[in-house]
Amino acid sequence: MTHRLPRLLHPGAWWLWATTLAIAASRTTNPLLLVAIIAITGYVVASRRPASPWSASYAMFLTIGLVCIGVRLTLFALVGGAPGTHILVRLPVVPLPHWMAGVRLGGPITAEGLAASAYDGLRLGVILCCIGAANALTSPRRLLKSLPGALYEAGVAVTVALAFAPQAVAAVGRLRAARRIRGRHDRGVRRIRGLAIPVLEGALDRSVDLAAAMDARGFGRNGAATQRVRRTTAALTLAGLLAMVASTYGLVARSAPAGLGVPLLVGGAALTAAGFIVGAKRGGRTRYRPDPWRLPEWLVALTGIAAATGVLLGPARELWPSTYPLVAPPLPAVPFLALLVAVLPAWIAPPLPRVRAAGSTTAARSVGSRQAVRVAS
Amino acid sequence: MTAPGVVRLRPRSAAAMAAVTIVGLFGFGWPLLDARLAGASSQTAHSSDASWLFVGLLTLLLVIVLAEISEGGIDAKAVAVLGVLAGCGAALRPLSGGVTGFSFAFFLLIPAGRVFGRSFGFVLGAITLLASALLTGGVGPWLPFEMLGFAWTGFGAGCLPRMTGRAEVYLLAGYGAVSGFLYGLLLNLSFWPFAQYLPQQIAFVPGGDVYTNVVHWIRFDLTTSLGFDIPRAVGNAILILFLGGPVLAALRRVSRRANFNAVPTFSPQPSEGLPTS
Repeated sequence: MTHRLPRLLHPGAWWLWATTLAIAASRTTNPLLLVAIIAITGYVVASRRPASPWSASYAMFLTIGLVCIGVRLTLFALVGGAPGTHILVRLPVVPLPHWMAGVRLGGPITAEGLAASAYDGLRLGVILCCIGAANALTSPRRLLKSLPGALYEAGVAVTVALAFAPQAVAAVGRLRAARRIRGRHDRGVRRIRGLAIPVLEGALDRSVDLAAAMDARGFGRNGAATQRVRRTTAALTLAGLLAMVASTYGLVARSAPAGLGVPLLVGGAALTAAGFIVGAKRGGRTRYRPDPWRLPEWLVALTGIAAATGVLLGPARELWPSTYPLVAPPLPAVPFLALLVAVLPAWIAPPLPRVRAAGSTTAARSVGSRQAVRVAS
Repeated sequence: MTAPGVVRLRPRSAAAMAAVTIVGLFGFGWPLLDARLAGASSQTAHSSDASWLFVGLLTLLLVIVLAEISEGGIDAKAVAVLGVLAGCGAALRPLSGGVTGFSFAFFLLIPAGRVFGRSFGFVLGAITLLASALLTGGVGPWLPFEMLGFAWTGFGAGCLPRMTGRAEVYLLAGYGAVSGFLYGLLLNLSFWPFAQYLPQQIAFVPGGDVYTNVVHWIRFDLTTSLGFDIPRAVGNAILILFLGGPVLAALRRVSRRANFNAVPTFSPQPSEGLPTS
């Protein structure tokens, strides 16, 4: 049972799990299933999110989702437009200029239309919830660390940006204090100018120092790649790009042959991926403490895939419950049971490592428990 | 004055950029074109499949562009400046808030694209948005579209004609206004098909003809997003007008200090006064 050691799950596994759940949510408007997905993501996030600044993003996305539903319902109530016979309220009709002809403000609000827009808003809200769960569960730094080798330089640039952004905010605070001490109380653009330019100058100076430090440590030196490897990479990547560009034409243009789009897209993606794999050999770079991909990662990803498959297999009549006529949404058995599988990561994922910041006693206890686990395994 | 080629643009990176641009145009513009995917099914839910497809495709292509550009085209200095500028942009972005639609990030991106060249502008735009999304936990299906919109803005700033002095600042301010406005219009296109709750006269018509959808889209822009786009355009222009000069100077200074793409020159004769041994 080595995987019960406290550690963070590979961010890729969480993203796979969340994306598959979002796909499941996008294929249904059944409120029972959608609420089940909210409950599942909420439970998993509550039990497996690390203590980090971004772990609050689930609540943020949940709020955005609620706003989505609210906006949707309000707009529906204002402009209406859906068929229905059960009239709940009649709002006064507001006359509009002629170029908005056809748009009606106010008028009757029907139960059917309200239900339809609530279902659709809920669906979008649940997709947002799934994305928020992935944001809350994974650390962006770890995600960047597990980028493929071909993206190494871009990944470093993003890492530098992530590390630098809080420093820039701190620099603004420092400069503001310094200006206050000197008795300068500029307003408006002059104030922004007095803050922004010194912050930028300082940042740029720092970037030159950083570049010197990186250069001195051998950053950007590539291992020698043979001519053949380089040519193969170029050929594979370019062919893949061409195929993918051609596939968009197949996907969008109606005159294109029917089977052109998706196969070309998949083929192009495969070619480019092959190019990446061949190209990654040039690096000769090693990773510092890479995140492992073990059994729990496989299981977490599989639970998401199982849930999405279950929902996709459900009968359309129950996945898209009728709102006209308005009926109580049925609970489809197969999709619901499949969704329940997706809550298992709350137990499958290894327990979170404890944060040591809370004082020596907790730290000691944490180390002790970790050793105990190791002995038990 | 400008130092193009801080990020070297090799034929392969140029091809990748062209590919992502073409696919991006389709990705933004499919609702306006006669969309086969949108028309394939009468069920409204399926009309958004095309958009999801482009989310995946654009992500993939942006990854390829970043990989292509970084392979051999980027050195430590470019990475450091990219990272620091993207960090500044990412820190500025939440400060401005989404309420007015006005974003501080433009006013760094446009001078940087101008000074360091168009491919640097492209990469900086993409990376600023990525870093900002990662910092605020805002990674989602909108990210590739925002990244591409910002990348195009940076690229365009690098393509502007050569000018100096005050005229350059006016040029950049004008570009800031135009690009801020166009950015809003473009990003509207990326989520407009999802907004099925809109009244029929401004909503996306799945499978409808080009004319209808273009008219509806323009109406949608006029009625809903103009209140965000105009403050963004005006804000960009004002900020660049007042801060553009010093920002350009600071960026040019670092470009000289870091001595990007310096070519060592050797004189044919050793200069006098050196010890000869």
